Amino acid sequence: MYKIKSNLILKCSFVCLLAAALAFLCLSVGFAQTTQIFRTYKTGVTARIPQTPEAIAAGKAIYEKRCYYCHGIKGDGNGPAAPRLDPKPRNFTRNEYKIRSTELGTLPTDEDLFRIITSGVEGTAMPFWSTLSSEERWQVIYYVKTFYEGFKESEAHEVVPISGEIPSDSESVKRGKELFKEAKCLLCHGEDGRADGQITTTLKGKWNFPYKARNLTKSWLFKGGNTTKDIYRTVTTGINETPMGTYADFLTDEDRWHLTHYVKTLSHDMNTEVVLKSKLVEGDLPEGPDGAAWDTVSSIEMPLAGQIVARPRLWIPSVNSIRIKSMYNKEDIVFLLEWDDKTNEQDETYSDAVALQFPTKIPEGMKKPYFAMGESGKSVTIWHWRAYDEFKQTEKNENGGNTEAATDGGSSVAEHEESEEQEEEKIAEEKPKEKFKGFATIKEMNAKGFKNLAEQPSNSQHSKSKSYWKNGKWKVMITRPLMTDDKKIDIQFETGKLIPYALAAWDGSNSEIGGQKSISSWYYLVLEITTPRSVYLYVLIAIIMGVSIQFWVIGRIRRFPPKITTEE
Amino acid sequence: MGKKKNSYSMILVIISILVVFVIIKYIAPYVFMIVLAKDHTMPTPSTLILWYMILAILGALVYVSTSDLKWAKFLSFILPAGDDKTKAILQKMIIVAFPVLVGWFVYSGTAPGTASPVELRIQHPTLLQEFEKLENPFAHVNEETKKRYIEEGKILYQQNCRPCHGSKADGNGPFANAFRLRPINFTDPGTIATVVESFAFWRIRDGGPGLPGASTPWDSAMPSWKDTLNDEQIWKIIMGEYVTAGVVARQREKIEH
Repeated sequence: MYKIKSNLILKCSFVCLLAAALAFLCLSVGFAQTTQIFRTYKTGVTARIPQTPEAIAAGKAIYEKRCYYCHGIKGDGNGPAAPRLDPKPRNFTRNEYKIRSTELGTLPTDEDLFRIITSGVEGTAMPFWSTLSSEERWQVIYYVKTFYEGFKESEAHEVVPISGEIPSDSESVKRGKELFKEAKCLLCHGEDGRADGQITTTLKGKWNFPYKARNLTKSWLFKGGNTTKDIYRTVTTGINETPMGTYADFLTDEDRWHLTHYVKTLSHDMNTEVVLKSKLVEGDLPEGPDGAAWDTVSSIEMPLAGQIVARPRLWIPSVNSIRIKSMYNKEDIVFLLEWDDKTNEQDETYSDAVALQFPTKIPEGMKKPYFAMGESGKSVTIWHWRAYDEFKQTEKNENGGNTEAATDGGSSVAEHEESEEQEEEKIAEEKPKEKFKGFATIKEMNAKGFKNLAEQPSNSQHSKSKSYWKNGKWKVMITRPLMTDDKKIDIQFETGKLIPYALAAWDGSNSEIGGQKSISSWYYLVLEITTPRSVYLYVLIAIIMGVSIQFWVIGRIRRFPPKITTEE
Repeated sequence: MGKKKNSYSMILVIISILVVFVIIKYIAPYVFMIVLAKDHTMPTPSTLILWYMILAILGALVYVSTSDLKWAKFLSFILPAGDDKTKAILQKMIIVAFPVLVGWFVYSGTAPGTASPVELRIQHPTLLQEFEKLENPFAHVNEETKKRYIEEGKILYQQNCRPCHGSKADGNGPFANAFRLRPINFTDPGTIATVVESFAFWRIRDGGPGLPGASTPWDSAMPSWKDTLNDEQIWKIIMGEYVTAGVVARQREKIEH
């Protein structure tokens, strides 16, 4: 009787302990996952089926069920969905096939088409069609080829060999960098590969489509793959009917490998994290977007989508991702936002801009305000930086002091009052100005829905910015005191809490303004705190408890060894 | 008791639990990728891992305690190892590993977390009363018209829904990555195939802002389309959407007949 009881206790404690332990383990695993899927270029090709009239007919049926919405019923790239696409869908009635293993100007091989249909193209609307059986894919290819006469005339397209790959090393990359200049790659792709080269905005293809040079810093957007072999192939075969020609005659095979290795070093992968950690620093925060301290924190990158939640929608956004870093000290928090924009053209109406959005009050539970500018009863704070405004402000500040003094005494009462107000502001701003020299005040706003947006009064504008644009990239540093006096309209940053934030970006040269912007959904910001000592105490207690329970169990079993009955 | 009686059943139990964990955590994503013909691995949700692991542990413990003999053998591993050196090493490993694991769990549970919060989404909020009785006005048109409306709906789908839900209605549109809660994959039999058409109508018309206050957070980025699309267009989109996804809507149970 006693034995059974002790067995039961043992069993129960075992089950409970292990279950609890594993529960913890599982809960700590795999939360911070994001669910990004990038289409990658796959080179595998399955055995082809014979090209028969039946196969073409079957291909036609599939095409008219799945493909024509973009590529058009006649294959002219003018389907009903095409106006909302950028880049535009491929026109099959002429040879503008871009990703090929064949020489520049020639048609792609069937295998090239198979690879593209199977892989899809990241950065465009083309999905991966590996969901169709390989037979179906071949049928579609045979049908697509009927749109262009050229496919009937020339039979064999020779595949340009990709061979003699040399290993990548610093020497090779260095040579590649020289070649990048020599071969004038940077005229379009830009010095740092951000597609901001001198002639990049004037680029046109043969049929007058605006053509964008590839941004070589975003590895996931390389058309036709981002492996060294893929890049080498693109440099060698060029892209039909675009300014990207072949470099096979201009550079030797070996040089093209050097160039490939250099291009590869320009690119980075998207590193998205759900939680942005703001690092605690003792003492001063970086004094500008180029402050050395920024190098000590790593950035995370958020993908952005066009704002299509409410009118006016933006179907073809320009900014597709933004990088963000943050740190804070006892008084202020700073953010560094970086994104690629190939032009720096600002005017009063259309200006490059970026916005950070927080809930006005850090939500206690999981329920956050609506991610797109809040909702009634749940307001959000928005810090809206505009390149044009900052430029105007810094211009004023630089030659401002004297003019203000001149107008100080005179003019009407109203103006006088205004200047008094301004002066008061000045006094209030005096302190932070010493800290963040040369920073401009940015617009703080509150929103309770798309149509309910209000600018904060001028004496509650606490965030400041400093920025610059170089080689196709904006670097904007934004700062605000952790706490402000306007507790009702400003977010108060608290350490250790998950604070939702969202991002928006506008590209002035793409005529983006107001609701026409790129947006993200909510992510989280955490002001990191050093691990409190109590944690280690808990751990110690837990270990001691674990050890004692363990030895108690062992001791108990050893004292009353379970009888192993040999028979049965 | 001689050397021969030494039983390693406790080690076997631990190993099999680890094997189950490895399968669920690392192998299942690839298996499901192949089985469901996906282009990406399908990571097992952590809550699911938790329940599978609890089941695995309980199963193992139930197994070892099915008879007194098995239970005794299971526990006998804790008895002095004698001159069995492997057993002695394994015992030491367990003795060290157990407190370390406990400590680690406590640490990861109490240290200031930077792990993102669990975000649950109830995919099927309760349908509002006013939509309950709604019928697709095009449900009983003749075949010819129906075909035309489906095609019109597919075009509207490709124009308006495609950026997020994708050309194939698989939730992989070009904008999909930007949303923390990925747009719904309609080809998944657990999504639009399980709801009636009027439910889809409600979701398209009122979108995320129209979700009921109960069981929040929804965190849905679904737009409310009533600002641009009229009811007829929405019904057509629904018809086209189901065809594009290759699933059919749940039929409302007929109370009479």
